[in-house]
Amino acid sequence: MAVFVVTRDLPGVTPELLQSAGMRAKSCCAEMTGEGQPVRWVRSFFLPESSQTHCYFEGPSKAVVEEANQRANIPFTRIFEVVEMTPEMV
Amino acid sequence: MSVSDLVASFAIFAAKQEGSEEVTPDHILLGCLRTISRFGIARIGPWGVDLEALGVDWIRRPEGPTPKVAYSSAAVELFDRAARIAGAEGRRKVEVSDLLAAFAGEERGLMGRLKRRHGITNASWRTAISRIDEDATESRKRSTNGSESGEREYLTPEEAAEALGIHVQTMRGYIRTERVPAFRLAGERAIRIRRSDLEKILEPLKG
Repeated sequence: MAVFVVTRDLPGVTPELLQSAGMRAKSCCAEMTGEGQPVRWVRSFFLPESSQTHCYFEGPSKAVVEEANQRANIPFTRIFEVVEMTPEMV
Repeated sequence: MSVSDLVASFAIFAAKQEGSEEVTPDHILLGCLRTISRFGIARIGPWGVDLEALGVDWIRRPEGPTPKVAYSSAAVELFDRAARIAGAEGRRKVEVSDLLAAFAGEERGLMGRLKRRHGITNASWRTAISRIDEDATESRKRSTNGSESGEREYLTPEEAAEALGIHVQTMRGYIRTERVPAFRLAGERAIRIRRSDLEKILEPLKG
């Protein structure tokens, strides 16, 4: 499956609000997977200096990742497909 | 699957059962009640809430095509409030008690109806919620001290939860959703879980 990054601008967000968003993302991904649209929230990075959050999802398409975020009611600015690279791959 | 995952999945199921396109706070409350319920009765302090009386089919599972559901803005606020309550208690993970506590000041919807029907006040609700985890802890202690659970093949739900280091309500959720096989003693209400079956709910971490 492809990996996508969902970028969010969340000024004033707190760790608690990120926790709440994470719960919603996880449950919506599980629900969509159960419905036959496999999608998984992999991890997120919060950038405190810019109030930006980068959330990585695995899914078959950008549309499916977008739907998971819409169902979870988490605002986002853009969704990009990414190419993963790790030290083990070099 | 954590307890909050179980609540969310029951909440989504409740919304789908109702044919709603949104998961509302009412669905989340039903999800909480179903998570802590046994045989369709959720016990919170002195109150026993019958899920059937609230229109919840606590046995049926989703069948056939169901509508796609999204969290409503009110549901988002409820999750946010529960996460802040967990944070105030020094925890990061949100438990079912945090979600239930988030309903304490709610006068509308299902919570409002429960308050009026059972004479529940904000303070009496929070008092009862604060004991949910204590009761489970006491129950775990009793089951551990009173038996040789490390050697027996068949465990009570409390002993099985203790063996995995999870909340007993989580284990009951696994039993209800058939993620772990459970057996009833013939003619009795008592439930037993085979120790070897506990491995079925353990998933290896992907590298």
